[in-house]
Amino acid sequence: MPSVKPSFWQINACVRCVRQPASVHGAPVRLLSSSSTAREELQTQPPPPPPVPAPAATASAPNDSNAATAENPEYMKKWGTLDPSSVVFKRDERRLLRREGLQPVGSRRRRALLRRSANTPDIPFEQLPYQCFQEARKILLEDRQEKLKQIETQTLRLKNLIAQDPAVSGGQAAKEARMRSMRNYINELVILADINDPVVKKKFEDGQGDMNKPIYRHLASLKWRKYKRLVLEQRISQMNIVPDLLPALDLAADIDLGFGRKNIPPGEFVDSEMSESMPRLNVQCFEAGEKLVSVVVVDADVPVPEQDGFTYRCQFIASNILISPTQTSIPLIRIDQDDNKITDPAAKRIVLPWQAPLAQRGAPYHRLAVIVLEQKDAKALNVLDVKRTRRHGFILRSFVDKHQLKPLTATLFRTQWDDNMAGVMERAGMESMINVELKRKRLEPLPHKRRTERMR
Amino acid sequence: MNLSTLRPLFRPLGSPQFRTPNLLHRSAQTTPRPTNAPSPTSPFSTTTRLQKRSKGAKNTTDPRITQIRYHLQHPLTPRPLRLSRLRSLRHWTIHRAWLLFLRKRRWAEERDLERQYESMRAACEHLRLLDDQGMRVSDTEGGGQGPDAGRLGTRGREVGRLYRGAMLKRGVWGSVPVEYARTQTDFPGREGWNVGWTRQV
Repeated sequence: MPSVKPSFWQINACVRCVRQPASVHGAPVRLLSSSSTAREELQTQPPPPPPVPAPAATASAPNDSNAATAENPEYMKKWGTLDPSSVVFKRDERRLLRREGLQPVGSRRRRALLRRSANTPDIPFEQLPYQCFQEARKILLEDRQEKLKQIETQTLRLKNLIAQDPAVSGGQAAKEARMRSMRNYINELVILADINDPVVKKKFEDGQGDMNKPIYRHLASLKWRKYKRLVLEQRISQMNIVPDLLPALDLAADIDLGFGRKNIPPGEFVDSEMSESMPRLNVQCFEAGEKLVSVVVVDADVPVPEQDGFTYRCQFIASNILISPTQTSIPLIRIDQDDNKITDPAAKRIVLPWQAPLAQRGAPYHRLAVIVLEQKDAKALNVLDVKRTRRHGFILRSFVDKHQLKPLTATLFRTQWDDNMAGVMERAGMESMINVELKRKRLEPLPHKRRTERMR
Repeated sequence: MNLSTLRPLFRPLGSPQFRTPNLLHRSAQTTPRPTNAPSPTSPFSTTTRLQKRSKGAKNTTDPRITQIRYHLQHPLTPRPLRLSRLRSLRHWTIHRAWLLFLRKRRWAEERDLERQYESMRAACEHLRLLDDQGMRVSDTEGGGQGPDAGRLGTRGREVGRLYRGAMLKRGVWGSVPVEYARTQTDFPGREGWNVGWTRQV
């Protein structure tokens, strides 16, 4: 009987059924499922039968069958190399399954795409062969060349101006004004040269922009100002941080606050246990150069029952922290750990250690403002001097004036009495506050106004 | 639009509506009909009406109705295109290039207008400082500027005479500017129009 090449259509086995019999010894395999069909297929599915005719089979059949189980028969060899990550045709997928016992990797569309891109060279985005796109690129490149030339001439003029005698320029003040405006113009030109580049735009949108370059800083600043800054400004103004703590606050850097793993949006309530440890800040400034900043955390709603009002308390001060457009992280816990290793008290960066925010029962929520202040001319503050500031009744405005700081950015969070507050108070050593509940003073109601009086 | 979607599909031939009303048909009826029963009315139109399909979901609405409603509801603005990332970046690039091109053209036009204006101004300035010999004089000898702009300069009436004449911009007919009626000449006369001229007999 001539051997019949088994056709693929007849084989309906799952991978397991295919894989296991592909063992070298051809030993019967135990199946997990006991369904009869699977067993049948296992029995009917041969290690591929030898194509040799019957008379010669007696001697060579055992050898051939052994050889067939060890390596693939001729027709299988003709299939060529089948890679699970690049088979595209259904026929090849079936062959892969049959011969190697492997499933193809990923979806067929993905495999087709990868295969196509492996065969054809990957064209970089700016060389894509779309006519209108390339014409547009040509125009924009011409404009970029013009801008570069303008930048050259302007820098030359600025250089000459700096070298000029102030008497010729019309006085020192006029010369400085002119220098300032020339520098601004050059910065504008630098941004205009790259603003039309789609590669720059794509890189920025993917988060790969180098913040040392002015164009990426500019794009990041635009993006921040479009939404996040507006939200932050709204929270700060509606929580009245601005008239209470500072007269004015022009936010100039993006700030992110987090406790532990959780990121806190501005103004959100923070659980007392979470705020017991120091937060981590991320401050992204959009101007070139390094800055030294101080971080001050102020509680703006400390109740003073005797005066029936509120006062301020400073929870935390840290100074001389280095920040730049590429170094945005302020991990306060790690700074604290580094401080513990430093012996010189004047070199420590944490001036007033973190006090857990506390709120008594019955009191309204406490606003805790985290304000980042720029130190003047990037000069280090005298830590021992700042250490002497009093916590209770801390006025931020005087602090800012005294140490010549400039508010860079701010954020805030709120705290109120919750289940963990008692524990926090205990650990902070303020047991006396735990059992105190504040209540509003009951006001005498006004005398009832007669109807006609109300209507006047 | 593909009108085949509106064409009716199911018009059975044997339906009662298909049969045309026939007088012969009616006269063949012999059985008396009660007067209360309404007489069988014929449909106004002879077009066969659509029948309900026997099979199929009864909830499907006529596709013609949905098409009519869709097209009646069509807003003026088309729905937004959704482009892939690279496609939208290419679109953005082309848009920026076009806007840049328009900006350059606009600035060139403005510069051209400015150039024309400056040239007109320079010409008027030269005319203002021109004396009767055709020589340009210094600023103090010509009038027409400074705190008292109506005053003549130190040289008097002759300097800037043509300028002052050119600056008379009273209308000719109503508000038509006089420049439309004034022809350009190299040597305009002093008197202008001689009203009392008569023919020498």
